[in-house]
Order: sequence, then C-alpha cells, then structure tokens
Amino acid sequence: MSPSHARRAKPWNQRLAPYLFVLPNMLIFGLFVVYPAINNFNISLYDSRNGRDFTFVGGANYQELLSSEAFWSAARATAVFATCFVVLTTVLSVALALMLNRRIKGRAFFRTVFFLPVVLSPVVVGLIWGWIFDRGNGLLNTVLGRIGLGQPGWLVDGGLAMIVVIFVGLWMHIGFYILIILAGLQGIDPTYYEAARMDGATNWQQLRKITLPLLRPTTMVVIILSLIAGFQAFDYIWTLTGGGPIGATTLMVQYIYENAFESPIRYGLAAAASVVLFITVFALTLLNFLYGRRKEAT
Amino acid sequence: MRRILASCIAMVTLAACAPGTTSGGGSEQVDDKTLTYLYFTDGPDEQATRSLIADYEKKSGVKVDLQIVPFDNLEQRLQARLSGGNAPDVARLTNISPFRSDLLDLNQFQKAALDGQFIDGANAYVKGANGELLAVPSDLTMNGPMVNVDQFKKAGVSLPDVTKPWKWEEMVAAAQKVQKANKTQYAIAMDVSGHRFSTMLSQFGTAFFSADGTSVGLDTQKTTAAVKLFADLNASGVMPADLWLQAGSKYKAANEIFLAQQTPVYISGNWQVSAFAKDATFTWAAAPNPCQETCGGFPGGKFMVSFKQSKRQQAAADFIAFMNSKESQERLAKEANFLPTRKDLISSGVDYPQRDADMKVFLADVSRTPPQAFASSYSPAFAATAKATVDALGKVLAKSQTPEQAVETIKAAAEKAIKDTK
Repeated sequence: MSPSHARRAKPWNQRLAPYLFVLPNMLIFGLFVVYPAINNFNISLYDSRNGRDFTFVGGANYQELLSSEAFWSAARATAVFATCFVVLTTVLSVALALMLNRRIKGRAFFRTVFFLPVVLSPVVVGLIWGWIFDRGNGLLNTVLGRIGLGQPGWLVDGGLAMIVVIFVGLWMHIGFYILIILAGLQGIDPTYYEAARMDGATNWQQLRKITLPLLRPTTMVVIILSLIAGFQAFDYIWTLTGGGPIGATTLMVQYIYENAFESPIRYGLAAAASVVLFITVFALTLLNFLYGRRKEAT
Repeated sequence: MRRILASCIAMVTLAACAPGTTSGGGSEQVDDKTLTYLYFTDGPDEQATRSLIADYEKKSGVKVDLQIVPFDNLEQRLQARLSGGNAPDVARLTNISPFRSDLLDLNQFQKAALDGQFIDGANAYVKGANGELLAVPSDLTMNGPMVNVDQFKKAGVSLPDVTKPWKWEEMVAAAQKVQKANKTQYAIAMDVSGHRFSTMLSQFGTAFFSADGTSVGLDTQKTTAAVKLFADLNASGVMPADLWLQAGSKYKAANEIFLAQQTPVYISGNWQVSAFAKDATFTWAAAPNPCQETCGGFPGGKFMVSFKQSKRQQAAADFIAFMNSKESQERLAKEANFLPTRKDLISSGVDYPQRDADMKVFLADVSRTPPQAFASSYSPAFAATAKATVDALGKVLAKSQTPEQAVETIKAAAEKAIKDTK
C-alpha cells in the first residue's frame, strides 16, 4: 500500500481532528484580526467625518497623506524612534542577558529589577517619567540644579524629548527582551564551551564564535518584536510628551489615533495611515526574516 | 489551501461593501416612560443635574437613566452607539458638528418652549439648513482671567475695576509687579488651548471666522499682533512656555500653577470657579477680560441634543425643554456656578449663592463679547482650526516659525477646515 493510499484510508474524523483543534483560534483570529484588517483597507478608500456617513473617494486619502506635512513628520519621527529602539534594544538586551546569565551576586535581584517595568501600566510609566523630566519642577532637574549642572529642557527641546522617549521605552521594555535572550542562552549546549575551553579559547572568542552565532535566531526574534513594538509605540509617549514638543515625538500610531478619535475625525485618513504602517512593518519584518534565514543557511 | 483561499475571498467580498450604516431617519416610537441621558460632568453640575432629574421624574412619571461617561470618551462612545443603532435619547455635548446629520429637530416637538429662547450667537451653530433646532445651548462658558488677591495685596497692586476693564499692557504690567513682589515663577498663565488663545484674538479685534461663520475672518495684522504679544510673553518668562511645549498636542490646563500660587493671573474660564472655591487656599477673584481693540472674553458651552434614532423623541424633547426652562437653568447655574444661555436669564442676571461677584464678572463679559466671537466659537470648523493654532503657536515658542508664518499657517488651516466641513 502506498503512503498516499494509507493517508486516504484514514477515517474522516481523524483527518478532520487537527482542523477542529485549530478552528476556534482561526475563527477568533479571522474575526478580530483578518476581517478588521481587510475592512480597514476598505475604509481607507472612503471619507467619513462621523463613522457612519461614508463617501467613496478612492485613493484620495493616500494622496492627502503623501502631501501632508504632519504625516511625513510622524513618519520621520517613527523611523528615528524605531531605528534607535531596535538597535539599542538588541545590543542592550544581549549585553544585559549575558551579564545576568553569569553567576553574579544578586542575580535574581537584578533580573527582577530589569523585568519589573514590563508589568507596569504604560500610562503610569509616562506620567511618572513626565514628573521626573519636567524642566521646572522635575526630580532630575532638581538634582542636576543642586549639583550645578543646570536645568535642561528635557521635554521642551525636540531632540532631547526624542532621547527621553527612547530611553523610557527601553527602560519599560528591555526586561522582556532580556528574558527572550536569556531563554536563548539557556538553550546553548554547555559542551560547546567545554570543548572551546579545552582548545584554549578565551572568553571573548567563546562569545564571538559560539554564543553570538548560536544566539542569532533568538536575536532575530528580538529584532522583529522590537521593530514591531517600535513602530507601534504610543501609549506611554501620549502621557509623557503628548507627541510634543511641536510634534517632535508624534509617532505614526498617535497620528492615526488623533485622526480616528479626536475632533475633527477623519476615519478614512486614519485607515489609510494604518495601511501604510502595516505595509511598512510587514515589509521590514519580512526583510529581517529573509535576511535571518539567509544568514542561517550560510 | 483551496479552502483557505475561499475563506479569504469570502472575507474580502464581505469587507468590500461600503462601510458604516446610514443614519436612520425616523424610528418606531415607543411610550414606555423611560429615557436615556448620555452625560459627562464638569464636577459641580452632577448633583444639580441629578436633583433636576429627580424633579422631572416626579413631575412626568418618566424614569431617566443618567449615563455618565468620561469627557475624553464621549464622542467615540456616541459614534459607536449611533453606528450600532443604539443612540441615547438625550446627550450632552460640547461639539455637535460630527453628529449634525443624526440630530433630531426639536422644533417638531417643543418649538414654543425652545425656539428663539437662547443666545443669538449660537443660532448659526444649532440651527439646521432649513431652520431646524438641532441642539439647545444648555450652558455657556466664558473665558477670562482669575487673579490671586492675596498676592496683589502683598504687592500693593490694586485689582482691576470690574466695570472698567484693564488693557492688555496694564494687565501685563500689574501681573509682572505682583510676580516680582511675590517671587512667583510666572506672571500670567493660560491653558494650552486654541479656544483660550481665541480670547486674545477676539480682544485684538479678530477671530478665526467671519460673523456669519462661512469664511475665514482672521485679519493678518491683528492676528500677527496677538501672536507676537503671546510669543513675547512666553519668551520673557511672563508666561510658562514650557507648559505649552510639554503639552504636545493635548489640552493642558494651567490651574495647578495658579493653585500652587506660582502665577498671580490665570486666564481660563468660569468653569474653574466651583473648583477654585473648593481647592484654593488663598483669596482669589475673577477679573474682567483685558481690552485691546474690543472687550469681553470668548464663549464656549455645552449643548443638549436628541437623535433621529431615538425611539422616544417626544419624551426626549420634553425633557430637554424641562432642563432648559428658566427655572431649571437658573437652578443649575446657581448650584454649579454655570452661566445661563437663556436670553431672559442673561438680561435679568442670576444671583449665585457662592462666588456671586466672580460669576457677575463673567456674566458682564458675555455682553461685552463681540458677535464674531460667538460665530467663531460655534463654527463647525473651530475644532480643527484651534488644534492647528496650538501647533503653530508651539512652533513660534520653539522658534521654528516666525509669528508671521504662524499666522499664515493658522489662516490656511481655517480655510481647509471650512472646506472640510462644507
């Protein structure tokens, strides 16, 4: 009997079982992710100021986006934020995970300290850091003022505000990425290191020749996840800077939010911006994925 | 694989229908003696509203379900409910523009009680193209300054005469003297809001829109003068530039600066009266708006509406008429320190049980405020223009735009907003 014939001979309920197991999840995913995403593209072809009266405008929303200074400003800010966030997240999470993977004193304490911000509400994080970075009455400037270092306008200077936003984002998320890298490190077979030590490899060589190459798939996951997080950043920035000063930290999601939910409402424009954001993130994720696959193959 | 493809095609087909639902015209009416009232509270008005509702329930036998939602969430919730065919019977709004096509013509049910009873300045906003009454101005707000009396006294600076308003330069000079004597961080603070800045524009003799609200009304010279003064005051530290820049695109009140006694003059509005009566630990008072080319402040307000979707249109209109009758509005005004919108109450005045003198200052400024300010405030294009104004002013404070460029930006935004709302 050929294998294909054996497959055909399986009773129908056995053939159906796997599909039945994934069906609930597929239904929920389809209903709450796929359908809204498709419908969002549909909405981007209409103009609506109230969510009920829709006028078909074709690609006019996309044209308006491309000629909108606010959109390009948000796109630029998002690119800067996401690039810095991804690079710093990847480098720092690997470095800190390597440190926390060693048998250092107070390892559990440090792991807790790094992970704690992950469970905080982003809104609260934004508010707390807002009080810390406030120029006039903030905790940081009070300390800096006392030691004669002046009072930088952390949240009133565009460049500084972007640095603050990136820093707070790292502080809030780094624990999560450290955990992922730590899991990757735990998965490396210790015999590789034993063999390397027997061959006289230094710590630096072990890191370069064993740890980092074997950590590449995990690092890829961190890059992809932080890339998506970087492009979707909104909540804590909204409470920390409100997108200011003068739009310096207004990222794409805030641009979408303001058009969709704040007067004057522009559902179509917000939907078009969402489509652009989706395509951008999807393309970058795919490129990363393909690059990672190619690296692994070589 | 083929099945997955088929599912995807089905979804695309499903999604390819025109989104949204059309706002229904009439709906089947019921008389079940109940009403839903979607409401947001400014604080002191909630108890007054509840007691008025209790009276109405006794009088009419109608049970009113007061549904209080956060202000930030009001518009989204209402949009969602209208989309789902689940509109409340009555709602309290600050901005009726996004809902104009959904609103019930109250003249069909309560023309005698409502039509022509309220400030004329709101007519262009609350009336439909064919004279329908789409909303009732249920309370009026008036922007204006409040002063820290203790700090003025300590500095030996006399308070402005409420019957003879000060000029802008007089207010600035007095505030700076008080600031110096009391070593406060700032001399004048203003909420981060295009609505509040419109007060300055009005005093400089201009407004976003023309008196009929159909075209841009900004006078370049006057607007530039107002923007320049605002920029100078912020650059010199008279006003807190950081507050404006740190707010981003969000509204931010400067009330905490005033309550912390870090500014002797605070430009906000009458809705702060109740809050300050409770929270201020010093003596304060409302001061008349400064004059420049014109006097008065800048109006705003809340509106009561019903919807075409409502299944209880008659009951909704009756309830709106009751809540906005002379007696009810006077009671609400007294208990919540609100300003009335009824012509008869504005002309007769209201005696407030608390902070009467302050409320009288705001009320006096209502009559000093030019009609163009009302037209501007109640224009459907106001929200978008105000938002663009906050951004443009932020750029001036950050020195990335000159006042002249900012004026052009604001004018362009006003043009676009008018076009978008037509």
